[in-house]
Amino acid sequence: MRWLSSSWRACGSSMVVVSFAACMGQTGGSAPATTTMASSQGQTEQVLRGRAIVVSNACGDCHGQGGNPAGPGWLAGWKSPQQDFPIGPFMTRPRNLTPDSATGITRYSDRQIFNALRFGLRPSATPDVEITSSVPGQGNHPAKPNYLAPTMPWVAWRHMSDADLRAIIAYLRHGLKPVSNKVEDSQAPPDFWASENTAEKIGPYPVAPHPTANEVAGQGDQAKVLRGRALVITKDCAGCHGGGPNPLAKGYLAGMTDSTGEFKIGPFKTRPRNLTPDNTTGIGRFSERQIFNALRFGLRPGETPDVEITSTTPGQGNFPAVPKYMAVPMPWPTWRHMPDEELWAIAAYLKNGVKPVSNKVADSEGPPDFWASEYTVAKIGTHPPAPFPTTNERAR
Amino acid sequence: MTPSATLLTVLALLGSPAMLAAPDARELPEGPSRPDSDILLSPPSLANISRVPRTVEVKLTAAETKLSILPGKISDVFAYNGKLPGPTLEVREGDRVIVHFTNDLPVETTVHWHGMHLPYESDGSPFHPIPPGGKRVYTFTLRPGSAGTYWYHPHPDHKTGYQIAKGLYGAIIVRAPDDPLPATLTEKLLILSDNRFQPDGALDFPDPHSSEGLTDRENGRECAVILVNGRVMPTIDIRPGEVQRWRVINASAARIFRLAIPGQTFVQVGTDGGLFEKPVEMNEILISNSERVELLVRGSGKPGETTVLQTLPYDRYVPQTRPVDWNKPRDVLKLRYTTQPPAPPVVIPAMLRSIPAIDTTKATVRRNITLSAGLINGKTMDMSRVDVTAKLGATEIWEVENIVGMDHPFHLHGFQFQLLDRNGVPEKDRRWKDSINVPKHETARFVVRFDNHPGLWMLHCHILDHEDHGMMAILEVK
Repeated sequence: MRWLSSSWRACGSSMVVVSFAACMGQTGGSAPATTTMASSQGQTEQVLRGRAIVVSNACGDCHGQGGNPAGPGWLAGWKSPQQDFPIGPFMTRPRNLTPDSATGITRYSDRQIFNALRFGLRPSATPDVEITSSVPGQGNHPAKPNYLAPTMPWVAWRHMSDADLRAIIAYLRHGLKPVSNKVEDSQAPPDFWASENTAEKIGPYPVAPHPTANEVAGQGDQAKVLRGRALVITKDCAGCHGGGPNPLAKGYLAGMTDSTGEFKIGPFKTRPRNLTPDNTTGIGRFSERQIFNALRFGLRPGETPDVEITSTTPGQGNFPAVPKYMAVPMPWPTWRHMPDEELWAIAAYLKNGVKPVSNKVADSEGPPDFWASEYTVAKIGTHPPAPFPTTNERAR
Repeated sequence: MTPSATLLTVLALLGSPAMLAAPDARELPEGPSRPDSDILLSPPSLANISRVPRTVEVKLTAAETKLSILPGKISDVFAYNGKLPGPTLEVREGDRVIVHFTNDLPVETTVHWHGMHLPYESDGSPFHPIPPGGKRVYTFTLRPGSAGTYWYHPHPDHKTGYQIAKGLYGAIIVRAPDDPLPATLTEKLLILSDNRFQPDGALDFPDPHSSEGLTDRENGRECAVILVNGRVMPTIDIRPGEVQRWRVINASAARIFRLAIPGQTFVQVGTDGGLFEKPVEMNEILISNSERVELLVRGSGKPGETTVLQTLPYDRYVPQTRPVDWNKPRDVLKLRYTTQPPAPPVVIPAMLRSIPAIDTTKATVRRNITLSAGLINGKTMDMSRVDVTAKLGATEIWEVENIVGMDHPFHLHGFQFQLLDRNGVPEKDRRWKDSINVPKHETARFVVRFDNHPGLWMLHCHILDHEDHGMMAILEVK
């Protein structure tokens, strides 16, 4: 997406901008945890499961076409310098994720891709072995790891289940048509980003149990709250909204605290809000339905009636005639592809599972249409996404 | 913005060494007595057709007509009794008011008596629309202590902004038998508004789906041409040293006026529900939509000089739709110092009146009212839904919180209230209000007593485009 690169460019001076349109998450721990490909039906289910995860986790926001599998160049990677993400002095570039043998992922084993998603290890520079520790130098974890560039939010993705990661891999390898697109190598500092990926910066793996000091237990439906927590962590909401995918972190979900958290989208400054349930500065006053409507329809909760939205077309049903959309780069166009129950679980966690923090975030700027022209079907695709397989995809 | 509540400072401001009013100070002439089209004219008063003592009975008709607003251009307007602004309803505390209203418009309308404490049936709310050709009699009695500046305007569902922009607004002046300000002060009525015109003089209402229409919907229809009593940049003549009493009404749909005269201060003596307890010296005065202020303005220039009343930049907007020229001051009217000899000094009392406090310890209900973009408590208005129910006779404390990044001027029908604090900072002075600006992300708390008049009352944002799109809720007092 066009805005993605511009926003990253703006953040280039900050080395640790983890995420924003970051992508990821688990779609449903309820799907069958198929880890073998014993049957073709099992494989198809795994591919579809992986597709749902990829679509609803914004992989395409960097790797091509957002959450729209029908878009040209879906997951085919960097196409032009417009899509460079400068991190400090280093140009980083989203790879081609299609199964092309020369330019895509075909050269890597499932295990290497798994190790990339779980441990952040570059498949091209990491032995094809099972990694037995998350600590560099321990077990099979390389003593001098060569990490993916920090724009890639593996730090959040790693908290997905093994089954979800394998489903993603199955989709990339078997559900996509190969596209030949050679992406220039990303640049990196001499430590290959190791200093950005210390335990102190990225938090523990696995994630600290609920509740941390930033969280509250015992309010609301706990199963739902915990499910929402897992989603908030694996979607890396806090990558922009404060603290990263680590509920122990200072300022977890409490919103932007200084201008380094700001995005510059063209002439506009946009700012990640405080997602804690503080009544004055956070989301405390919004209903779970308003939060749902934000994630599904992109509608700003404070400025949208607390009603069930019955259409996706402005002016039809309950959809506001003049919608107030959330600012770019909030990746709701991909989040909206999560199933209802996942969005409700996220709302339940934010309202009931997080401690309120008072942190007033200045309003985001934006165009007079409140970003409506950025959220046309032509730009963000349809909801629900086009059925599998699109012209970019293949079914066995 | 320094409050100056003592007699001495008021006198100092007024530049008077004397402690006594000049015995010969009579009402001063309204500037040169020549036909001068750019002189600020006050609307005429409605004629009282009643012979009954303490009764004011008037006829008011709304109709389509053609008037000149821009020099040399004719505009199709709606007008009360053919005037824009409508004629002033001048009454006294204790008067019984009877208004025989006729709707000669091609559309339904109402007349809302903004700020008045009156029976529900006479409020002119959307509950009592008057069809084209229809009539309605509005009756109400003015309470002791209610002297002040109010206004009247249409309030039909979804069409208020359009009808006011077309020209339907007028002033109400309620006078007190014991007004503490010297009767010798020249009084001026300034009804502030703005409008937008096509080159031929026609009023300009953009297609609601155009970008201008969408911006109007967001910001309210804030227009480039500023009007005072329906005229562009009129002149007020003031004698050097003279003190004038200005009653100012913000009748604009969306423009918040931040009034200032370069190099001099005002003394604010009143607001929505009448005079303050004590005069306050101000460098500038913010008047949000539908608010009123009473000011004392001193002719502090030299004979023959002119100055301007300006509205200074005020950022009430969301960043998305802030006008490009929002940060430029705009001239509102010209103030011209006459060549008459300096006026004798005037004494302004340090204490204007006593305003009884509504007893907050008697408050039985505390309510939160949340304002956001087009919504009150997360909802748009539904005429069939009561949003807030209050007991007749109850004292309540309302906390009105604006949770979005645009100012929303809040108006409650039927009941004057007393502001307690803003963002937790207590108000210094007690005042009667019916309209307050709630700036972006701020909170205002007030106390109100629903002492009588059961019925359905509106509470809403007075940016008329917001109101018309449903930023309104219904209070039932029963």
